[in-house]
Amino acid sequence: MDMAKYRRIFLEEATEHLAEIGTALLALEKETANPDAIDLIFRMAHSIKGMAASLGYDAITEVSHRLEDRMQSIRSAGRVADPEELALLFRGVECLEAMVRAVANEQEPKPDPELVRILAEVPAPVPAQPKKKLLSLTPLLP
Amino acid sequence: MTRVLVADDASFMRQMIREIVEAEGFEVCGEASDGLEAIEEFKRLHPDVVTMDIVMPRKSGIDAVRGIMELDRSACVVMCSALGQETLVAEAMQAGARDFIVKPFKPDSVIDTLKKVLEKEI
Repeated sequence: MDMAKYRRIFLEEATEHLAEIGTALLALEKETANPDAIDLIFRMAHSIKGMAASLGYDAITEVSHRLEDRMQSIRSAGRVADPEELALLFRGVECLEAMVRAVANEQEPKPDPELVRILAEVPAPVPAQPKKKLLSLTPLLP
Repeated sequence: MTRVLVADDASFMRQMIREIVEAEGFEVCGEASDGLEAIEEFKRLHPDVVTMDIVMPRKSGIDAVRGIMELDRSACVVMCSALGQETLVAEAMQAGARDFIVKPFKPDSVIDTLKKVLEKEI
């Protein structure tokens, strides 16, 4: 197989996917339960994982795999738990961007075991949404 | 000649499977980049076998298997799975998929699996 050809395709697709993830993260910043954004990040991380594994980029495979798993938990919960979890997702994407840049510069992507560990930690349960105050309970008279 | 429909949202994976199966003398009769397109292309092309990614937009690979099975109970679909997708693979097999191949693809394993499911067809 012409691995140089696949490396080129990887760089194109991974760069596009990371840009799409970046846009989706901004959408999640505004609306933490945005299902389209959650689904897109999950799929893009999955796709990057598959390509990186095929080319033997283990550091990229590991981070994208953990990011995909984290997105699966978020999908099940229905939303991003808190600003810390959102910040973790941003960190994951920044790490992948740096790794893909390294590949483009013909360098070995540097592993980030600390990030992998944090991404793999079981996320805290998502707190219940605060219930809206019922209008009928609002006293009409002082 | 064995006709293969390749369904995967990543052009990288479609090209890789194309290269593997064409080297074996199979023909890639079509490609699909999401589950809905996979069903439409199956209906149009009647391939001998479909390689189906699990995670795809619009309709997942598992839902696409269900859609294809509604069209043709004897359809031959092989799932393309990845690390950590064992539960989804089991679901796809329940839906009617014949077998699965695991990413990263090993050419010999892909061809062996396709030949195995096709032999059962005969």
